[in-house]
Amino acid sequence: MLTVVGGILLLAIAAGFIGAISGLGGGVFIVPGLTLLGHIPIHVAIGASLISVVATSAGASAAFVRDGWTNLRVAMALEVATVSGALIGASLAGILAPRVLELLFAAMMLASAYFAARKHGEQQVRTTSDPLAERLKLAASFPDDDGKLVPYGVRNLPGGAAIMVVAGLMSGLLGVGAGALKVVAMDSVMGLPLKVSSATINFMIGVTAGAGALVFLSRGDVSVVIASPVALGVTAGALVGSRVLMHANVQALRLVFLALLLLIAIEMGWRALSGI
Amino acid sequence: MSSVVVSEQDEDRVLRVWTPIILRASVLTSSVLLIVGLVAMALVTPGFYVARVHEIQTRGRDAVQQHWGTLAVDALRGQPHAILMVGLLVLTLVPLGRVGFTFFFFLKQRDLAFTLLTATVLLLLVVGVMLGRVG
Repeated sequence: MLTVVGGILLLAIAAGFIGAISGLGGGVFIVPGLTLLGHIPIHVAIGASLISVVATSAGASAAFVRDGWTNLRVAMALEVATVSGALIGASLAGILAPRVLELLFAAMMLASAYFAARKHGEQQVRTTSDPLAERLKLAASFPDDDGKLVPYGVRNLPGGAAIMVVAGLMSGLLGVGAGALKVVAMDSVMGLPLKVSSATINFMIGVTAGAGALVFLSRGDVSVVIASPVALGVTAGALVGSRVLMHANVQALRLVFLALLLLIAIEMGWRALSGI
Repeated sequence: MSSVVVSEQDEDRVLRVWTPIILRASVLTSSVLLIVGLVAMALVTPGFYVARVHEIQTRGRDAVQQHWGTLAVDALRGQPHAILMVGLLVLTLVPLGRVGFTFFFFLKQRDLAFTLLTATVLLLLVVGVMLGRVG
């Protein structure tokens, strides 16, 4: 047993670490890791991954919430959209053939690589909100380097929510956090400062993946023998990865991991298309 | 019943203090349960674990499903499979319980929009359980 559980744990630690360094999250790496290396069916891998995404989000977002980076009201307003999407996605995952899921996963990995490689331009922080955001009191402030509070406004909540439905669907369907797409919604569409977007997304991912995990759990698609070491390993790997990220320049490592992501996506897509 | 409405700054403080506590407690509790469950399984029924993984690899599904009705009793009796399932449930349900906490918070604050938004999320989560049951 120790060899098998140790193997899954190591795989999960590596996935969590690479997910944290690359900024793509552990789910993007643990699902292909389990299917390609562990020969675990993709729907079981997705169920386990969703639970590990909940754990990583809870661990990582706590400090951001405490320090005032997370916009809790924006998160709660958008959770209706992400949870709706996650429920649709998790239900679809129970219907779709494994080969279709693998193909969709490969496509999602390619899209994630693109978003991760994209450079973010200098962002001007807006202080004004649109009428809906004002009515919901979504505007807030974040602490700058000197601890001074910088106010920012929020706009286009419906536009952001529409993208969040798609991001939630991806999360429930493929067992990932879909953080890259959520950043597009908050950063580009709703105009939130980038670090606020990241912190808020980190927080929302937990409930989104949790909703998807509930569907998998009640359907019986969460295997405790797979999900338990995966949750422990990914959380530990992500914790180490985020520490390394704070203290070291990981730009080169990040590029290596993005190349790895492309290779895995090609392997997974090829496997799905050739029906092996 | 007293219903004290707190100021916006205090609202922020209450949420920012309690939310991380709920999140960290869930990760810590579930991690302990998962470690205890895996160690217990390695000591008591190591063959069971390997057989389950092999079954998933060959048949595509884990045939051993936890009986929800006896989950608490099985876990208290120290059954490794049940301890692991409780660990996974804690991990999944506590962040969702955080939504419940904010629902009551906004209800107390008489913030109608956010009471409705959080109530909708809670309702959707119940729908999620039902979707899994029929799916």
